[in-house]
Amino acid sequence: MFSVGDRVRTRLRNPAGHTRLPRYLVGRSGRIDTVLGTLPFSDRRAAGVRSAKETAYTVRFAAEDVFGGDADPRGSICADLFESYLEASE
Amino acid sequence: MSRIHDIGGMHGFGPLAIEPGEPPFHHEWEARVFAINRFLLRAGAYNLDEFRDALERMPPEEYLGASYYERWLHALESLVEERKLLDVLRR
Repeated sequence: MFSVGDRVRTRLRNPAGHTRLPRYLVGRSGRIDTVLGTLPFSDRRAAGVRSAKETAYTVRFAAEDVFGGDADPRGSICADLFESYLEASE
Repeated sequence: MSRIHDIGGMHGFGPLAIEPGEPPFHHEWEARVFAINRFLLRAGAYNLDEFRDALERMPPEEYLGASYYERWLHALESLVEERKLLDVLRR
């Protein structure tokens, strides 16, 4: 479980099936913005496990942490991501 | 990840075309696809994540050239075929 303000990093992964973690946010560092609660877990539901649930968070990434020097330094990107996509980060 | 829909941050597609006063559907068949999909979801024939997975399984060379509702139609047809949903009607 993560709390608002925690630093997190998205795990390196490349599943063959459906996922809510887009490629451009794999291996990126951000901060927990909102705890959304327990929600239907898309990845496993897409594989036919209809009861699957997981805690989800809104994670905010600085645009520069995603697109480097090509980003607007004032910008940020929010994504709603499931717990298993994330690991704690310093 | 890593299927043809996952193009966030990619260059080369040009600007988004914003259509003032855009109608919900541009063709009557699009509304039919929308309605059939809503019905099948509500009936439990498949769930929304399975539908999204079916969209993402569209062959890349077809996906890139297809409109929004052409992709929906492809996913709908795939799921109906894979799950033999028409067999129920034929009985």
